[in-house]
Amino acid sequence: MNQSDLPRKEATVLRGHEGAVLAARFNGDGNYCLSCGKDRTIRLWNPHRGIHIKTYKSHGREVRDVHVTADNSKLISCGGDRQIYYWDVSTGRVIRRFRGHDSEVNAVKFNEYASVVVSAGYDRSLRVWDCRSHSTEPIQIIDSFLDSVMSVCLTKTEIIGGSVDGTVRTFDIRIGRELSDDLGQPVNCISLSNDGNCILASCLDSTLRLLDRTTGEPLQEYKGHICKSYKTDCCLTNTDAYVTGGSEDGSIYFWDLVDASVVSKFQAHSSVVTSVSYHPKDNSMITSSVDGTIRVWKT
Amino acid sequence: MDSDEEDFVFYGTPIEREEEITSRRKKSIAEASGHLRALPPWKQEVTDEEGRRRFHGAFTGGFSAGYYNTAGSKEGWTPQSFTSSRKNRSEVKQQNILNFLDEDEKTELEGKSFGTSSQFDTFGFTAAELARKQAEKEQQQRPSAIPGPVPDELVLPATESIGVKLLLKMGWRRGRSIRDSHVDSLYESRREARKALLAFSSDDAKTQLTDSECGESHLESSVEQPVNDDVQYSRSTPVYVLNPKQDLHGLGYDPFKHAPEFRERKRSRLSDNRKPGYSKALSMKDSLFGFKSGKVGPGFGIGALEEYDAEDEDVYGTAYDFEDTIVQEVEVDEPSGVTKDRRPRLLGKEQGALPGFMIASKSDYQLERFDPPTVPKNFVPHHKFSGPLETDNKFANPPPPEVPPPDDNNMKLLIDGVATLVARCGKLFEDLSREKNQNNPLFTFLTGGNGHDYYARKLWEEQQKRNDQTMLAMDGKSSLADQKMTAESRGKLLGEKPLERSSKDLSSSVASENSIHMQYNLSDTFTKSASYSELPEIVKPFKDDPAKQDRFERFLKEKYQGGLRSADSGKASNMSEAARAHERMDFEAVAEAIGKGKHGKESLLSTQQFTGVSPAGGMQFTSGGLEQAKDAQAENLTTKNMYPRREEFQWRPSPILCKRFDLTDPFMGKPPPVPRMRSKMDSLIFMSDSVKPTKLEESDAVNKGPYPTPQSDAQEMSKFEETEVEVKVEVENVERPVDLYKAIFSDDSDDEAETFDHKQVEEPEKKIEVAHTALNHLIAGDFLESLGKELGLEVPPELPYLMSKAKTPVSGTPVDRVVLQQRGTTQEGESLKNTFIPSNPQSSSGKFRETDLSENRPGKADREKTKEDARAKSPSSRNRNQSSSWSSEDERSRKRSRRHRYRSSDSYSDLSGDDQDRYHSKSKGRKKGSSREKSSSSRRKHHKYKHRDSPSRSYNDAEGKKEKKKRRERD
Repeated sequence: MNQSDLPRKEATVLRGHEGAVLAARFNGDGNYCLSCGKDRTIRLWNPHRGIHIKTYKSHGREVRDVHVTADNSKLISCGGDRQIYYWDVSTGRVIRRFRGHDSEVNAVKFNEYASVVVSAGYDRSLRVWDCRSHSTEPIQIIDSFLDSVMSVCLTKTEIIGGSVDGTVRTFDIRIGRELSDDLGQPVNCISLSNDGNCILASCLDSTLRLLDRTTGEPLQEYKGHICKSYKTDCCLTNTDAYVTGGSEDGSIYFWDLVDASVVSKFQAHSSVVTSVSYHPKDNSMITSSVDGTIRVWKT
Repeated sequence: MDSDEEDFVFYGTPIEREEEITSRRKKSIAEASGHLRALPPWKQEVTDEEGRRRFHGAFTGGFSAGYYNTAGSKEGWTPQSFTSSRKNRSEVKQQNILNFLDEDEKTELEGKSFGTSSQFDTFGFTAAELARKQAEKEQQQRPSAIPGPVPDELVLPATESIGVKLLLKMGWRRGRSIRDSHVDSLYESRREARKALLAFSSDDAKTQLTDSECGESHLESSVEQPVNDDVQYSRSTPVYVLNPKQDLHGLGYDPFKHAPEFRERKRSRLSDNRKPGYSKALSMKDSLFGFKSGKVGPGFGIGALEEYDAEDEDVYGTAYDFEDTIVQEVEVDEPSGVTKDRRPRLLGKEQGALPGFMIASKSDYQLERFDPPTVPKNFVPHHKFSGPLETDNKFANPPPPEVPPPDDNNMKLLIDGVATLVARCGKLFEDLSREKNQNNPLFTFLTGGNGHDYYARKLWEEQQKRNDQTMLAMDGKSSLADQKMTAESRGKLLGEKPLERSSKDLSSSVASENSIHMQYNLSDTFTKSASYSELPEIVKPFKDDPAKQDRFERFLKEKYQGGLRSADSGKASNMSEAARAHERMDFEAVAEAIGKGKHGKESLLSTQQFTGVSPAGGMQFTSGGLEQAKDAQAENLTTKNMYPRREEFQWRPSPILCKRFDLTDPFMGKPPPVPRMRSKMDSLIFMSDSVKPTKLEESDAVNKGPYPTPQSDAQEMSKFEETEVEVKVEVENVERPVDLYKAIFSDDSDDEAETFDHKQVEEPEKKIEVAHTALNHLIAGDFLESLGKELGLEVPPELPYLMSKAKTPVSGTPVDRVVLQQRGTTQEGESLKNTFIPSNPQSSSGKFRETDLSENRPGKADREKTKEDARAKSPSSRNRNQSSSWSSEDERSRKRSRRHRYRSSDSYSDLSGDDQDRYHSKSKGRKKGSSREKSSSSRRKHHKYKHRDSPSRSYNDAEGKKEKKKRRERD
């Protein structure tokens, strides 16, 4: 991918959320996107045409994260009301509510088969919920974190969580072992590279760190943006050539993956960028911000 | 109470105070919740109205009188039995009240009780009692608006007590106090007394004073009073007149019941208020009710609305004491005060709605609100420590003797740091740190342990230095003399310097005094600056608080870099002294933690720096900037080396999770996971054990790549588990003996398994097995010895790894070790258990080999293991069952034999008896066959009766009889 192909032009602005938008995520194929925010709603959009499709309301507090299954049939969302809602996308009904976190839930993810949901909570735990059975009890509680778990990623065999205690912990289900990579800085977001070999961790010292998953060695550090007090997302582009992340001053940064130089930086929002999501195939990106807007960026 | 409202009558129900309501509500809620009622009667406690446990007296029940504080009995109420037969017809009993009364109640009812008759009722108790009863009777007939019994104060005895009669005969007049009030009346009273005595002796009945006479006397006195003003009669007044009811409390309620001190207080205050207010009330009442105060005599029989005299009015407070002379003084003073205050008061009361009424401007039952105390103007909201900096006595206390620094460099650094801090922050810091680090062996120098002398010396030096600084700061460059002074003192100090500062002597000769001063401060921290060079700048422990972080950085700079401390270094923010001290402690701790982490590397570097730079102290100072830059780079490197840090732990996914992820459970069929320690501290504590294997493991992992082969994987796992196990063992050593004890002495294994924590769920099986072996050995008789034998036997030559493992130093009893090894070998040597379990080692070793072989086949390992587990468990249990069954068998047989013995003896005795009998009967039996038959039958009967409850015995008897029969037959 050429450097000029980075999505830097604003294509659409998705307005509708009242108050801060806390997360915006593409769905599996990148045709739709989901957003959630402080107005306690989850919204489904077509970002490419700028259409608001549906609103999901049931949360009692702000919605902090949302994820959709690969087949686009179910949603999972979590938020400040300590609950995890399992939604049917088409009807907009809540299929199940998972309660059990002792505190706010920061992030939630489906696994590959959408059979399990993993949630990361402020209560220092990762909890795994079963979508197949009717049980609303967690099938596993991972509580080896020492502080709030901010972010969770899943691979086919692993659960990876990033926590404010400065660790990125990988729980390998296949081997039954936990790898704890202590970064020394609070981690507020982790994201997997598309090849699955690296973890990009956003630390609260305004640094993104790229880790080799197999050895736990640091590969690169990306600096320049501001990330000191907000949960600001980061991700790699679809080709893993660049690293992108939001800044607390409302700008978006692109770094070269290898030499960590800031390739591009532009003002995207008027306020803190809470979330960035890169299109799985195209050169397109959505960003959400505290200013209440979701912006779609294209080349 | 406001003075002009105190005599008003308040109508209506006053609004209750809020707190009273809430407290009452709380009580009612507590009652409603049925806390007490839910308790069984023997757990309930009876409390008095103040919540204390009611004590009935040591000899009358203690804390629990009657039947658990009730009037019941254990049997409860037993109904009267009713029997009626033809011969003995039961009468229809007419019950009356006497059937239900106690003895004392009966006597009371019948009036049989002893008591003084009304005639000789000295104090009028009986009369009062009678009056009260009368009043009660009346009240029952005519229910009044006020429920409840009539207060005693309102019920007055109608008859005179004998004491009063006597007094009257002795010349006492009603309404007078019983004393000779003045000398003039002495004669009169004597005369009267004589008269009274005469009268009394002459005729009792005639001289009885009547009420009319009494009234006369009153009239007399009241007439007399104005005439001879100087001759004042001090009068006795009833209690309710002396203590008129002035408050709004209910009748009989005494707010000062338990606090008599306050009664005096209130009284004195009231009397102050009273003086001006009294006259107004008097005049007002005049107009209202038209009573003339002068006409009404004092003493008994004054109505509630009647007015009383000024003289009587103010007697209270001292009125109980008749001999008090203050009373008179007050009386004399009274009139003047009254006249003075009369006018304004009269004017003031005009503004009422009704004549005589006025709206209360201030209701009494308002919530009292207190203004916050006014802060004095010169109050500074910062605590000043009493002895922060001993500026004055710096020459007063002699310097402690110079002590060579402790050889431990780390220790020396620590002491230096603490001394500096204490010098700067005051004594409080020392106390704080001492308190905080009580258990820290590093800080023993604070409490007089190792390095205390050095610390004392250091502290003194620091204080000296500090004082110099402050003096400098205070004086500025005003006087050279001052500076010279400091220089001199410093020179003196320099003479006593430890070796490390010898370099300064060189520079001091060259540089000017001021620069010396600065250098002095700088250069004495040379060693520390080295340590600072290692400090990672990126590590920001107080990231969430930028201001604090700033302070921390400054602190670090000060600590390690030296330099003239800016006066406002610590005081920049508006923090209190204590908070600052705390923060300093924090900083110190953090810095120390950071420093410690690098101590190993730092020591090398620091020595290098020392050798390179220290000869010229000035150079260090000038080149500081450059050094710093270099240091920063070094720091970056070190942090990069430090982070990210990878650690590995065992983690057990739940089976269902594996299922949902479509993966096979790596722990399938394995014992439940070992609980990991939660806190970082714990992991740090046991780091020494676990670090090495993990590192090894790590390198393994690196070498083998991301997805190791199953074989290596299994190995890894095993190793991994071992590390875990080792850690675990350390932890559990402490509690092991107890468990073992439990395991040995509680024989029911199931129960035990249930009683364990869920944390230890994984162990019970093993424990039980251990217990079983232990049991076996106990049965064998030599527990420890056999264990030791087993230890010797158990290490098989085929497993060198295990040998090495066994050699690892593990503290604890042999039993512990056994357990450890059992657990340590969950992977390879599952079978090892077997070595402990069977009672004979030969078979175990055989078994071991067999399982060892099976272990080498990795594919089947799991299944094999489970089988083995089962096998391992089963023999022991079988064994135990056997043993138990054996023992029970043994026992039974023993019993049987004993019984046999008993029986035999029994039968013998029986036999002997029979023999005798037979003998006996033989002698005469031949003649009387029938009689023998009879006797034997009777005897049989007798026997049966006797041993009805023990079948065996009866059986014996039967047997015995059989034998008898046989013999008889033989006979």
